[in-house]
Amino acid sequence: MIVEIVSAGLIISACLAIFFDEAVYSVAALAGTLMLTSLLFALNGAYYAAIFQFAVGIGTLSILFLSGEMLSEKPATKTKLSSSIAVGVLGAVLSLPAIFYTIYTPTQVANSVGFGDALWSYDAVDVVLQGLVILAVAVGIGIVLYQRRKTSSQKLPEVAK
Amino acid sequence: MDYVILSMVMLAIGVYGLLTKRHLIKLFISIELIATGATLNFVMLGLNNLGISQAYLILAFSTDTAVSAVILALLVIVKKKYGTSDISKIVPIESAERVEESVEAE
Repeated sequence: MIVEIVSAGLIISACLAIFFDEAVYSVAALAGTLMLTSLLFALNGAYYAAIFQFAVGIGTLSILFLSGEMLSEKPATKTKLSSSIAVGVLGAVLSLPAIFYTIYTPTQVANSVGFGDALWSYDAVDVVLQGLVILAVAVGIGIVLYQRRKTSSQKLPEVAK
Repeated sequence: MDYVILSMVMLAIGVYGLLTKRHLIKLFISIELIATGATLNFVMLGLNNLGISQAYLILAFSTDTAVSAVILALLVIVKKKYGTSDISKIVPIESAERVEESVEAE
């Protein structure tokens, strides 16, 4: 029962995050979404995922609160309470299919692999590190291209002279 | 309780936000919702083998964080360059000046 309530809350807060006009309210609703996702992971026994989600969510939210304050203008009209409640009800309705219907998903994978085994014995850490290397290369290429563009744009006026 | 449907609903909400909202922060929130839906699907499909799914989740989180950082940097640049965070109002400054000049000339 708790899982169903948390799932409904997840969808409702996601709907509200999209719906609110004020950026700070949207970020607050997104905070609810991320924290409820973390709670859902913990309720299903995925404690590491819950901790990761919580940590990443806290970092993202703190930056988003700051940038939401800095980058957004105040909207001309305030969001009405009645329309917020209507969106909440819509979110609750949207969560009903997830609660009452099921899609058949075959699960034939062995369940004896622990987190440490997955990382070390099944080489998951290698894949993670390779992914980080690819990310670093992508960021590096981006920086090089940016610098090249910057230098070429500085040279162009000199050539024109 | 089916988490595949739940993550699909999250994905649909995120895509709806991406298509309809014009504020940059809202677009960022929509992308976060899509990423959260994907993460939820990933973990919940691996419930029978939590070790592997959680281990590979580290990669998903690091990618998600990198994407968030890049998007936030782009938001700041756009706000600095164009002075607005509404994507429908973003016009290159040079062309906006040309439009103003042509209006003044007329």
